Amino acid sequence: MVTETILQQLVLFVPELILTGTFCLILLTGAFTKLRDYGTSTLTLIGSIAAFISVLPTIGVQKSLFAGMIAIDSFAVFFKLFSLVCLIGITLFSLHAGELKLVRTRSAEYYALLVAMTLGMFLMASATHLLMMVLAMELTSLSAYVLAGYTKEAADSSEASLKYILYGAVASGLLLYGISILYGLTGSLHYTTINHVLAVEPLSRVPLALVFVLLLVGFGFKISAVPFHSWTPDVYEGAPITITTFLSVASKAAGFAMLIRFFKLVCVNPVASVEAGYSIPLLPIDWQLLLAVLAVLTMTVGNLVALWQENLKRLLAYSSIAHAGYMLIGVVSFTDKGIASVLVYLVVYLFMNMGAFLVVMVVANKTGSEDIRTYRGLGSRSPFLAIAMTVFLISLTGIPPTAGFIGKLYLFAAALDAQWYWLAFLGVLNSVLALYYYVRIIRNMFLRESESAVPNISLTSGEVLLLGALLVPTLVFGIFFSPIVEIAQKSIVMLGVP
Amino acid sequence: MMRESIDVYTVLFYFFVSITLVSACVVVFSRHIVRSAFALLFTFFGVAALYVYLFADFLAITQLLVYVGGILVLILFGVMLTNKQINVDIKTGTLHIVPAIILAAAIGGTLVGIAWSNPWMVLPTSSSVKTTAPQIGELLLTTYLLPFEVASMVLMVALVGAVVIARREKNKKETTRDS
Repeated sequence: MVTETILQQLVLFVPELILTGTFCLILLTGAFTKLRDYGTSTLTLIGSIAAFISVLPTIGVQKSLFAGMIAIDSFAVFFKLFSLVCLIGITLFSLHAGELKLVRTRSAEYYALLVAMTLGMFLMASATHLLMMVLAMELTSLSAYVLAGYTKEAADSSEASLKYILYGAVASGLLLYGISILYGLTGSLHYTTINHVLAVEPLSRVPLALVFVLLLVGFGFKISAVPFHSWTPDVYEGAPITITTFLSVASKAAGFAMLIRFFKLVCVNPVASVEAGYSIPLLPIDWQLLLAVLAVLTMTVGNLVALWQENLKRLLAYSSIAHAGYMLIGVVSFTDKGIASVLVYLVVYLFMNMGAFLVVMVVANKTGSEDIRTYRGLGSRSPFLAIAMTVFLISLTGIPPTAGFIGKLYLFAAALDAQWYWLAFLGVLNSVLALYYYVRIIRNMFLRESESAVPNISLTSGEVLLLGALLVPTLVFGIFFSPIVEIAQKSIVMLGVP
Repeated sequence: MMRESIDVYTVLFYFFVSITLVSACVVVFSRHIVRSAFALLFTFFGVAALYVYLFADFLAITQLLVYVGGILVLILFGVMLTNKQINVDIKTGTLHIVPAIILAAAIGGTLVGIAWSNPWMVLPTSSSVKTTAPQIGELLLTTYLLPFEVASMVLMVALVGAVVIARREKNKKETTRDS
């Protein structure tokens, strides 16, 4: 009886099983065959494409699996497909990454850990049980710690890994402490049961406030929100650039998925929300204001510190902190529109941020430097690269006709709609601030001549294809944005949310 | 008679608590790494005893087997085999003492205050339970099947990661020559 139901549930769990299988297969291939880099990366690609295809039949399914541990719903499917697109992109990036050339003998472990990290993100996006959530987060984090220090011959890579582990351990510890108090208060780890207890029983304010502060530390660490961001610049700068890209896009998205699902399922009054037609916060503490303050801090600190950066990897790290702040605006407003706008922004952010990192990687491959001065005169030396970078940067700023504008538009519109006027205003102000440092790179590329003679940067056809694949959506979604908006609106359907 | 036996339990309970706390302090404050490692033995033992008080017999045995029998021995081996470290003072300097004390006192005070004053949810317990192992086994293969399996993935990743970080490179000379 029990085994039968488990077997039936496994049908919906195929994508995760495929990823686990790919993980084991890559490790075995690395251990027992001579196949090194191309073999294992091909396996990763095959595995992720197979997982992608197997996610597709679960679109539209709404089901709780394994005794309420995870949910299969449109929200989870969105994030699964999102992290798979990232995984495929990063695998293709890795083939061109100069930093990884020195560690080709270890590439089996590299790809295996990437796949394990994606599996962790799958579970993070679909967990509806606190134990499951913590395990998923640890799976993602542990893989990320190792990958950040993957080029261990480089001193800053080891430093990045160690810093990441230390910060991560403290953040998980605090998160677990918060969860233990929450369990003590409500007697359950299931999101829906906790929600039920919170709605029925009058619980005192102080412990609940503490619980949410502690949980926010854990979530904030994952999405690198200020003041839990201090690991981000060092890790992003020290890690191999492919991993930096993966962390800044996929890992952040999974963090948002976890955060949104938790607040949506636990902290919303289910009965009153149905009557009112929109989400009504449940707790005696104003967690929306708490998140709003976090959003403003994250945007402002990220943008202000980015102004002074000379290293592009570090600059993009601070810019990614600021982008987490923008996305938090959507979470704060917490309407359906707000959540949908976060999803729209994530899709847009995927293309533009991966694009910007790809350009930095290509330039670093050829010149061995990520300093802003190496970009001087890039416009005349390598026009395609410079123009692509300009488009990505304009999109990151949020200027039309790029996709970044649409993403920001939806976020701020959602905030205005939910009457968070000051938050939207500060968001716009921050975008103007961000313009300064993005334009500084563009100015260096086109208006400054390089002092020393630098070789022209010629692109391989693979790099051109990858750049094109990221460039086209960044431009096209700036004009034809209705498909992503529609997908986002369909993807906010969550199991257990009326 | 009844009264007396309760007292014995209570006295023993405080005995185990004090063992745990004192040895934990030694672990943290001792500057001698071998002394810390041996003090950890008593901490693990004390925690195992506390599990017995919580009717978690299986957990207590596992604590003894895995932590005292396995992990602690591994730690001691690690310390002994890297023989340079036995007599070397570990760097345990403290920075920013005043802010740290204030922060720790504030957080500690809040946590203790909440633990003390909060009305915790008390779940009904069944007194008929004799041993917990069968129920744990059943739950691990039904309700908690997925976390159980995912935990194995987490451990696998940790193993692979540890190997990747610790492995000595054979082609070190080649790579340095290339670069």
